[in-house]
Amino acid sequence: MSEPSDQQQRFDATAACGSQCEEALERLEAFLDGELPDADVQEIASHLTACYPCTDRATFEEQLRSIVRRDCVDDAPASLVDRIRVHLSDLPTA
Amino acid sequence: MSDTTAGGLTDRDDTEVSPVRQELSDRERQIRFEAEVLPMLDRLYSAALRYTRDPTDAEDLVQETIVKAFRSFHQYRPGTNLKAWLYRILHTTYISMYRKKQRRPQESFQDDIDDFSFYDEVARSGTGSAEREVLEALTADEVKQALADLPETFRMAVYLADVEGFAYKEIAEIMETPVGTVMSRLHRGRKALQKALASYARTRGLIDGPFEGEQEAP
Repeated sequence: MSEPSDQQQRFDATAACGSQCEEALERLEAFLDGELPDADVQEIASHLTACYPCTDRATFEEQLRSIVRRDCVDDAPASLVDRIRVHLSDLPTA
Repeated sequence: MSDTTAGGLTDRDDTEVSPVRQELSDRERQIRFEAEVLPMLDRLYSAALRYTRDPTDAEDLVQETIVKAFRSFHQYRPGTNLKAWLYRILHTTYISMYRKKQRRPQESFQDDIDDFSFYDEVARSGTGSAEREVLEALTADEVKQALADLPETFRMAVYLADVEGFAYKEIAEIMETPVGTVMSRLHRGRKALQKALASYARTRGLIDGPFEGEQEAP
């Protein structure tokens, strides 16, 4: 690996602070998805407690998911709900 | 998040339960169906709108899904994940109604999509906006549009995970695809979503600078 430039170093400070961070960030997505085994969850959770840059990144990822969850939702039009109710009462049962 | 989404489709140990509801009368089955499925219409419509990206088509898709679900409700195993069962029907119904009509465009991203990070774009931006501020400044329409613009399989993986809270295994069953494929679609889909949102943020002056690895023509 070549010496990182000053600029890269500045970015690295917010990107990853070491090999521990790299390992944690690799599993961050599965961690946030609740898809990691318990042992890994503890490992990542304790790393996040100790590492501000990784916590900041994890928080951003979580906020991103929460805006998607908040914004990408629509209620069914009332007319559709009514139509389905009528339709169901007319349907012959299997 | 309801705990029925926490595990797989058949995560409960209900081996004693009869696999079908044939013991119910038609009337009882209809009452149960209405009680259990109709409260989910909003969610189903919301998902259908992500699939079809058209309100009229979404209504048709929900209606057809409900008809199919009602017809096969006797096959639904009580105690298993009703929501995932319905989404599975929604998915197959969508494919039979719409996908055959249109040739599916090639679904891929640029190779560098894996390296994209919205967080880094904000962090290296000279506008000084905090990460949270940038996210909160994005409008609901921009977020909706960014998701809608993703290719279908990526769009739906992200939607099912991030909005509906389905587990990888459940998404795999709904989309009838291996878990590894789900993980890859989720990862790349989320990256592409971030890239689209970063583009909105940049257009609005919330962050500055060109994207790394994206040299636009002058």
